[in-house]
Amino acid sequence: MKRRTMMTGIAGAAASWALPAAAQSEFGPKDLVDAAEKEGALTYYTANFAETEQEVIKAFNKRFPKIKVSMVRAPGGQLITRIKTEAAAGKLAADVVNHSDRGLMLELQDMFADYTPPNAADYRPDALVHPKFWPGVTLGWCIAYNTQLVKNAPKTWMDLTKDEYKNKQIGQVVGPSGGTTWTRIMFERQVLGEDYWKKQAALGITLYPSGAPTSDSLVRGEVSIAPLLYNIIYTKIVEGAPAEAIFAPEGVPIVPYADGIPKTSKSPNAAKLFMNWRLSKEGQSFQIEKLGNITSMKEPPMLPKGWDPKVIKVWVPEFKQFESLRDKWMDDWNKTYGYRQ
Amino acid sequence: MTVTTAAGLPATRERAFSARRLIAPLWVGGLLILLTFLVLYPLLMLVFGALSDSNPVIDGFGKFRPALTHFSQVLANENVRLAFFNALVACGGGTALAVFIGLFFSWIVVRTNTPFRGFIAGASMIPLFVPPLVAGVAWSILGSPKTGLLNIVLKWMGIDFRFDFYSMTGLILVFGFYYAPYVYMFTASALRNMDPSLEEAAEVSGASAFTTLFTVTFPLIAPAILAGTLLSFVVMLGIYGVPAALGAPANISVLTTYIFKLTAWSPPLYNTAAAVAILLMFVTAILVWAQQRILSGKSFATVAGKAFRPRSLNLGPWRWFTFGLALVYLFIVVILPTIALTIAAFRRFLFFKDFDAVFDSKAYGLMHFNAVFDNPLTMLSIWNTLKVGAITAVLGGILAFAIGYTVTRTNVKGRRAIDLVSTIPIAIPGLVIGVAYLWAWIGLPGGLYGTIWILALAFVARFIPDTVKALSTSFMQIHKELEEAAWISGRGMLSTIATIVLPLARPGVVASMTLLFVLAVRELGSSLFLYTSDSTVMAVLLLDYYEGGNTGKTAAFSLVQTVILGVLLGITNWLSRGSAQGAARSG
Repeated sequence: MKRRTMMTGIAGAAASWALPAAAQSEFGPKDLVDAAEKEGALTYYTANFAETEQEVIKAFNKRFPKIKVSMVRAPGGQLITRIKTEAAAGKLAADVVNHSDRGLMLELQDMFADYTPPNAADYRPDALVHPKFWPGVTLGWCIAYNTQLVKNAPKTWMDLTKDEYKNKQIGQVVGPSGGTTWTRIMFERQVLGEDYWKKQAALGITLYPSGAPTSDSLVRGEVSIAPLLYNIIYTKIVEGAPAEAIFAPEGVPIVPYADGIPKTSKSPNAAKLFMNWRLSKEGQSFQIEKLGNITSMKEPPMLPKGWDPKVIKVWVPEFKQFESLRDKWMDDWNKTYGYRQ
Repeated sequence: MTVTTAAGLPATRERAFSARRLIAPLWVGGLLILLTFLVLYPLLMLVFGALSDSNPVIDGFGKFRPALTHFSQVLANENVRLAFFNALVACGGGTALAVFIGLFFSWIVVRTNTPFRGFIAGASMIPLFVPPLVAGVAWSILGSPKTGLLNIVLKWMGIDFRFDFYSMTGLILVFGFYYAPYVYMFTASALRNMDPSLEEAAEVSGASAFTTLFTVTFPLIAPAILAGTLLSFVVMLGIYGVPAALGAPANISVLTTYIFKLTAWSPPLYNTAAAVAILLMFVTAILVWAQQRILSGKSFATVAGKAFRPRSLNLGPWRWFTFGLALVYLFIVVILPTIALTIAAFRRFLFFKDFDAVFDSKAYGLMHFNAVFDNPLTMLSIWNTLKVGAITAVLGGILAFAIGYTVTRTNVKGRRAIDLVSTIPIAIPGLVIGVAYLWAWIGLPGGLYGTIWILALAFVARFIPDTVKALSTSFMQIHKELEEAAWISGRGMLSTIATIVLPLARPGVVASMTLLFVLAVRELGSSLFLYTSDSTVMAVLLLDYYEGGNTGKTAAFSLVQTVILGVLLGITNWLSRGSAQGAARSG
């Protein structure tokens, strides 16, 4: 039943998704498509979950079946090391790189080719860090809870400081786990108040190294409530897990990825087409509808369930502060939550 | 006996003699060059990383900026010291338990008339094939204080006691359970190859069965016990999956979880991780040195030129007691985690409202298996893993035999250096050595990078110590008199190896190659940096499922992996048994 409500809640079910091949101009000129199909293959490096990106590849192949996409997936930091090393040895196999840490990608900008998607003007300027990098993936933070264990579900971020959720009912991903979590804790301090962490930590919080085990623990009932990236819990909810997720009215911190095409790409046309498709309305709609992503487009082609655009606003970190505040605030967070780094 | 001198030899034989004299240094030199490429060169990269801020491939050796900051940071960080202490406690406790269990089992299987020994032997090896991550997940499903299946059962039974595997005790127990097979492999093979006449002598002299066990049997297989102890301790030190799944919820950090954090964070701190790894190597080096010091100057040869069969102690009615103990162990180590994994693999979600919910048939199905096999990477990864495993087992087996024989059976100059260099990789955690291999080998000519061969090469290098140690115990037990008899009969060195040493060491060789295959199939750390889209392996895919928060798919895929390994184990066990019988006959 929940599944039906969710599906009906999704606004404007991917209209462009059903369009025939005539709409291909959305993805670039015919010359590009022909050249991409002639190349016939590309290699995709991603720091996102492998399964999620497999679905993206499958959807791309429904539209462009003649282009085989091979994927290499590694956790964020390890992927960067690999890219740097392969590039230095002249053996970078990637045609497209998809990475969540915009700061790290920015350091590699010289390695990447100039690229602009056909619908560049549709994207929020604050989600872009460099003209070569585009947010093919955008993730957003929600509050998830186990429906079997929580009687009075939280409705706002501030609710997560209430006494009724004390004694390890709340699970958190540790601050230093990466750029996505840093975005959330930056939002908490800047928007919810300087003492938000202190109030929440006082409840007794269960800490997890990353989002995946947190979502798993939530479904299993190890914790009852957890701030999570929506895509980690969304597919579980759709499959019928005893969980629900809400977007809080104080704001939804979003994490725009930085995706680009390396200069050394052996299939630059296929790479461009793949990027164009992922950044298109069709690609973004697919990721919102099927994977639980958010989008960095100014006018979202569709909205996730329970997302009222009049009430809910996305929150994008100011990039300079994102870089400059990190070490100091992370240190404060570790101390407040008693996390040993 | 005729004494032949070089002076008395005809010219052609003299040339042959001097050529033979050249063979030894050439052989040692060849092995050292190979080990330099496989071990020292990547190690150099690691030291380079630990002592500087640069990446040797990107910045080149020319930009080497020596700095001890990583070491000083690591040593000054109280959390590193705590992680180090936790690691020593967890691995020390785990090793003690593993030695107790492993030794007990090998004794039951090899030296007593406990019923169904073949079955016990096979089943007790199962934990070895379970990836640490899966073991951790299985025991978190069973022993979580809030939602663990064991606690749900206790609650249903009205018992107040609750298990808590999210604790140091939980870590020690799971380490002990899962690494007992390492000790078992070494000690069972040693017990099987041991001449029982010494034990018989002890008993004839009036010693009881247990006195004999502790004063004759165990001391005689001391090299195997020590090798198993050392290996299991060091392997535990390098395990990430178990402390990640069981330690993290209790905020218990160990060195590997700390190193993983350093390598996975943005930006990754490989140079600091390399510094931690070098500290870990230092600890291991001390342990290896201690082991060699304890064993040096003692003879453990018990396989001599006399036919024997391993003696079987008649336990009388007590054999059912030992059988019962074996069943309890198997239940804890094999049945319970398998039940947990099976439930996880077939159940849509792992939420249990109460005990009755466990039996809700609507919650079960093949959804996770369907999803796993729907993924095109699954079959590719299985096929690649089998190929890499087989190549690693064969190449690694040959190399380990060459190293083991040279070190334990010859007196050639340079054998100590070979022994030392081949022991080094054991001390380096996989996640760190992975990046060292990448740094070291990415520039290799011939398009090796991006193929499964580079993975096999990394596994051979990484697991040389495990394989050599497993083989060396077999070598140490073959008495020199057998080879000398062959030489006196006019056989050459190679012929002696082929007809005497190899057949006698075959159980050990097969066991080592099996171990190598299993380790290669499970290896994640070095795979993560060297796999490409065409050469992806099962361990990488398993991490993807785990990192994606898919306990169901993780469990389903690990059951698939366990079945594949189980079938292969069955085959090798059968081969090993055949060869053991063959060896006993030829001995």
